[in-house]
Amino acid sequence: MSEKTTINAPMPGVFYRRPDPEDPPFVEVGDSVDVGDPVGLVEVMKNFHEIEADHAGTVAAFLVENEDEITADQPLVELE
Amino acid sequence: MIEIEAGGVASTVQDDGRTGHYHIGVPPSGAMDSYAHALANHLVGNEESAATIEMTYQGITATFTEDAVIAVTGANMSPTIEGEPIGTWESVAVEAGDELDMGFATSGARAYLAVAGGLDVPEVMDSRSTYTLVGIGGHEGRGLEAGDELPVGATPTERPAVGATVPDEYVPEYADEETVRVVLGMNDHRLTAESRAELCSAEWTVTPEADRVGYRLDGPDVEFEERDQPFGAGTDPSNVVDLGYPVGSIQVPQKPIVLMQDAVTGGGYATVGTVISADRERLAQRQTHDSVYFEEVDVDTALDARETRAERLDAARAAVE
Amino acid sequence: MASERITPVDLPDPRYEYGGDDHVFVDLAEEMSFTANFKAMAITQRVAERDIDGVVENCPGNASYMLRIDPDVVHPDDVIAELKDIEASIDVAEYAWESRVIDVPVLFEDPWTHETLMDFRDRHQDPDATDLEYSAELNGYDDVESFIDAFVGAPHMVTMVGFVPGLPWCFQMVPRERQLEVPKYVEPRTATPSRAVGFGGAFSVVYPVAGAGGYQLYGRTPVEVLDVDQELPAFEDSMVLPNPGDIINYRRIDRDEYDAIRDEVEAGTYEYDMADVTFSPEEFFEAPNEYNAQLLEAVA
Repeated sequence: MSEKTTINAPMPGVFYRRPDPEDPPFVEVGDSVDVGDPVGLVEVMKNFHEIEADHAGTVAAFLVENEDEITADQPLVELE
Repeated sequence: MIEIEAGGVASTVQDDGRTGHYHIGVPPSGAMDSYAHALANHLVGNEESAATIEMTYQGITATFTEDAVIAVTGANMSPTIEGEPIGTWESVAVEAGDELDMGFATSGARAYLAVAGGLDVPEVMDSRSTYTLVGIGGHEGRGLEAGDELPVGATPTERPAVGATVPDEYVPEYADEETVRVVLGMNDHRLTAESRAELCSAEWTVTPEADRVGYRLDGPDVEFEERDQPFGAGTDPSNVVDLGYPVGSIQVPQKPIVLMQDAVTGGGYATVGTVISADRERLAQRQTHDSVYFEEVDVDTALDARETRAERLDAARAAVE
Repeated sequence: MASERITPVDLPDPRYEYGGDDHVFVDLAEEMSFTANFKAMAITQRVAERDIDGVVENCPGNASYMLRIDPDVVHPDDVIAELKDIEASIDVAEYAWESRVIDVPVLFEDPWTHETLMDFRDRHQDPDATDLEYSAELNGYDDVESFIDAFVGAPHMVTMVGFVPGLPWCFQMVPRERQLEVPKYVEPRTATPSRAVGFGGAFSVVYPVAGAGGYQLYGRTPVEVLDVDQELPAFEDSMVLPNPGDIINYRRIDRDEYDAIRDEVEAGTYEYDMADVTFSPEEFFEAPNEYNAQLLEAVA
């Protein structure tokens, strides 16, 4: 089960790792996620949209920084 | 009936807009890309004024409760029916119970789904277009959500055959369309000479806030000439006594905002030019973070561009088979 | 004050400008005046009467006006030529129009706008004062009470409607020397309660819906200026109440009256106190105080 996959952006926007600036991040490297778990937010058109894991795994790395500008289909999170 | 299972990021019912109410603050709304909207309707035999679903950045997932003929145009969102990819800019037959699933936009920002018969939501001020700010038109005045059910009108008797397509030469390459033409004017004399020149030479990028109300752009600071502000204008050099904002007009609080179909209809910021009518739909297909360049043209060039655009749409319609 | 008059302003030549290929924008003056606004009103009313082919939107502004046209039907230069013809034929002093006086009750220093304005002190010129305290001082009033007295002391004319559906910009019907003027917030607020009554530049406004805003906040009205469901009787013909040229009489009320009116509005039974009047710029200029008093008798 060491095969690596990525969670990709479903839309362009600004990427956030926390639901709210004061809250802890949705997930950290090493956390395990299930299908449907939120891993971040994208802000676009003045709204926030949760990015959900489309498969289960362990977070191996974040490929973008908090508040980075992202494009649709850009790999955001690496899972293994 | 169309049953929505996932509404995407911002999907709304839009037609060709409502007119006659701008003076009381009601913007036209309507499809942001009227070329893609018009051809989607044409492919299924609808009038151009029929209501379609406009999807921004991400498409919907929906099930058809009856047999239907549909067409998807505009931004490419990789639509599938029952998991099988379908052609875009093409008339497609779907059966009762079929599920349409669309992904995110890989090119362009806005896709249109037309259904033969049009979406038969109630008209508000003679239009089915959604205006979310005050919650009128479309489906309950808001963006589509899971569980929404949209009625479809009577299927037109004459329409292109299933499988008819818009030939490639009439399908825009959205990625290449980064230049939009503007007629400078109204209050452009308030800009410094440097800023006025820079407006039409700088690279602007679409910000994440850009939406149906306005395309907010990022780039160099825009400066106004200092002056003793006229009575009633407010204190900032970018302020003027409140005036009407054309759809497509560029105002500059600090960075440019191009007003789109859900425009605020007036206010106290200097307007310095207007994106020409033929190019507003091209701007509407620019994604967040994409580049935009303004090219200054005179009004006769703008009128020629409008005519060229109309001829291209007519030619595209004629070429559908 | 019986001898007070409003002196018409000499306006510069209008600036005829293109708004792309499908709008014509006409600037009548850089600064606000009743002369400029009445001219905008008179010309746009004449445009409506002439029913010019290809004109699809006809919008008076505070000191300007704008038309949206269908360039497939009419060339913008032909519209401009017709507008110049209208401009040459108009005598604002001789003009009059059918207007309405509308009573707009206001609870000043209400808890809702107060909470909002306190939330955004860091975006304001004077973080240590309320918007009313700041405005009173800036306009040379000793205290908030006397500033509010001035604000409600004469009616305000709706000189433009827009930004969002139903938002009226209103210019107080007093001579220039008594006009109030305040800047907008240094940085706009991200929130404003619906039905907030604000002031910016030389204009009072009523915010139809909650949202962003940059005007100084003074109070809140229990009545609606926008009713998208058209449930209230006054909205039978349109979801927007105020129209350009209408006259708003802000009336100071207390919390009990606010609550009572609000209950009626929410029940859909509230009857607006308003009356049809004919407005004559010439008579208004000649003796504004007397003329205003006469207008207000219609809603007394």
